[in-house]
Amino acid sequence: MTLVASFDWNFIWEHIPDFWTGLKATLKVAAIGIGGSLAIGIVLGAARAHRIPVLNWVAAVYVEVIRNTPILVQIFFIAGGLTQIPGHPIRLEPFTIAWLSVMIWGGAYNTENFRAGFEAVPWRYREAGLALGFSRIATFANVTLPIGARIALPSSINTYVSVLKNTSLLTAIGFAELTDTAYSLESQSFKPSEVYLALGATYLLVVWTLSALVRLVERRLAIPEAR
Amino acid sequence: MPDWADPVAHYMLHQGLSATLRIAAYAVVGSTVIGVLLGTLLTIRFRPLQALIRLYVEVWRGLPILVTIFLVYFALPTAPVIHHRFGAIAGAAIGLILWGSAQVAEATRGAVQSIPTEQHEAAAALGFGWIGRHKSVILPQALRRLLPPLVSLLANIIQNTTIASLIGVTELLATGQRSIERLQLTPPGDSHAFAIYAALLAAFFCISFPLTRLAIYLERRLVSL
Amino acid sequence: MKRITIVVAALVLAAAAFAAWGTAAPGGKVAALAGPTAAPKKPAKPKLPALPSDVKKRKKWLIGVKCDFAPFGFIDVRGNNDGYDVQVARRFATLAFGSKKKVDFTCVTTPSRIPTLMSRRVDIIVSTLTWTQARSEQIDFSIPYYSATGRLLVPNSSAVRIGSLGGKTIVTTRGAIYATWTSNCFKNSTLLQVDSPALAVAAVKDGRADTFMFDDAFLLGVATQDRDLRLTGDKFLNVPWGIGIRKGDTATARWVNAALRYMKKKDEFVKILKANAPARLVGDFLDNVPRPKNNFAYPVGKDVASICP
Repeated sequence: MTLVASFDWNFIWEHIPDFWTGLKATLKVAAIGIGGSLAIGIVLGAARAHRIPVLNWVAAVYVEVIRNTPILVQIFFIAGGLTQIPGHPIRLEPFTIAWLSVMIWGGAYNTENFRAGFEAVPWRYREAGLALGFSRIATFANVTLPIGARIALPSSINTYVSVLKNTSLLTAIGFAELTDTAYSLESQSFKPSEVYLALGATYLLVVWTLSALVRLVERRLAIPEAR
Repeated sequence: MPDWADPVAHYMLHQGLSATLRIAAYAVVGSTVIGVLLGTLLTIRFRPLQALIRLYVEVWRGLPILVTIFLVYFALPTAPVIHHRFGAIAGAAIGLILWGSAQVAEATRGAVQSIPTEQHEAAAALGFGWIGRHKSVILPQALRRLLPPLVSLLANIIQNTTIASLIGVTELLATGQRSIERLQLTPPGDSHAFAIYAALLAAFFCISFPLTRLAIYLERRLVSL
Repeated sequence: MKRITIVVAALVLAAAAFAAWGTAAPGGKVAALAGPTAAPKKPAKPKLPALPSDVKKRKKWLIGVKCDFAPFGFIDVRGNNDGYDVQVARRFATLAFGSKKKVDFTCVTTPSRIPTLMSRRVDIIVSTLTWTQARSEQIDFSIPYYSATGRLLVPNSSAVRIGSLGGKTIVTTRGAIYATWTSNCFKNSTLLQVDSPALAVAAVKDGRADTFMFDDAFLLGVATQDRDLRLTGDKFLNVPWGIGIRKGDTATARWVNAALRYMKKKDEFVKILKANAPARLVGDFLDNVPRPKNNFAYPVGKDVASICP
């Protein structure tokens, strides 16, 4: 009961601007990461599904490496490992590191989502497209992509939500997104329950809103015959 | 192996890997037990109970694991009801269990509901009660369907143990970072960060890759059964 | 079905084996193994107040130390805790129980150390903790056991000084006094906060920050080691460090203060300093440790983190 009594609502109220600043950074990085992973997913997913030589194998290795290593290590590798390559250091801006790392992660998962989606498009549909005189690329754009992307939608939505949640790990390199802002705030105010309950509530609000929104889109985009 | 690498590898494997596997073991066992229980209960048609478990699942699936671990490790001990003090390893394991059990609960619900109603009815006709029916008839069958997601979960949990480094657990990632720092601050001052982070990626890959392949194999077998 | 049962059984067994192994593994707890001890063995035990009852019952200290902050709290080449703070903590074990092994260390970071103390996970924290007004409202401080000065670490080619920080990115560790000071006094600068000093050094080297504002002892070690980095001449925020004790834990405070006074009288801090700082730097830091005739005091009543240059 003392928990409730000693809970400092005023403190949260006073620091709403801080949370808002952090949230904006989170949403910005997540938006770029989600957009990028959508593009990667379509291109590499198509390469995998259509067995395009070389690109198919490169994509396969990329997917396995990213999905079988922790994203936190990937972030440190990009932020701290690449700068120490003997001879050819690669130095990136913190913001670049931020969106790049979540995009690379999301792209790998999305490649799998879209590969499965494209492969689930019945062969006869593509045959019909080719028979109508469409080129292979036009067939992909007009037949495989619209149907396959819809099949891939539920699993790719999970990936987008994960991309958003993964931005919290950028705290580890001091990128000032939502979790980092809260962590810094707590380290100077010593109010862990206020700070972290507010942080958790903010994430749930964003994640649940995002899920509800995409579910709405999903329902509108769902393939008619699957209804 | 170069001179610098020997003590680094020794430290990372002995201290880091053992802490990583320890957290992963606690988290997997805890997530499975709690998740299967909650998932089975979720199939009972009793609205208040369903709503409560749904809330649990949605909250812990919705939060980033790092935020859950911060809540457990930093905020929870300030609640006056918590008298037991737990260390960083336990804090990380609890955080992972909350997340993992939510995943397992969802998978279990799907697996249990995929068992045809005839099985329930037949078991009931044989005189089994709800608990006996689930223990002896439904869950053993559901478990078969649950196995692939559980193996994937194990791979995911092992990867996510790295988040424990952010609350001070010296698991595999943290031992790598402490080694980088030590090398950077002692002559000749070369941190070998690229090599150490690359080795960390390789180590996790070697643990995780066989598990994800096993999950895919089990999934395929299930389909062919 | 049978084969699947075997797979399940194997997985469960493996998990259980890992759990058991982890519990039994010596690496699980950072054991206080052999390490260079600075403090000499005194045949006559000093008269100290009674130990806090739970420490006495447990027959060992639980102490939070840094693991990423050479030369104060770090992990040595064999994977053991070492450093100035660690050796002060080991000295407490010797003074209390006659053996430097009677202490379990918990690694804490700058942002996690006070929560770790307040949630009773450790008895005390010996973790480079600068006294500040805000912290002293949360926890109690022992008498000082070290005094640090803030400095700026910059790339050799940089012209940044304390007076020209506007528009620059300052990196420091999260929760450090420098973070508060920067947000209070350098409102035109960008503050980057990371979890370990090494990550902050990397930020300066990689161009993500213009300067690393931090404690002299750490920075001087870096600057002598790294040919691309140097310290500016600016010195600021000279505030002593104390050992963190839970508010109202008077038994612990009484014992810790008596032990520190004893170590100061016997000039033991210099020996610990010499065992941890590179020989050529020891001279620079002799004034930073408590000695029989070298006294420190906290700036009580002054909010140092909001007094701007």
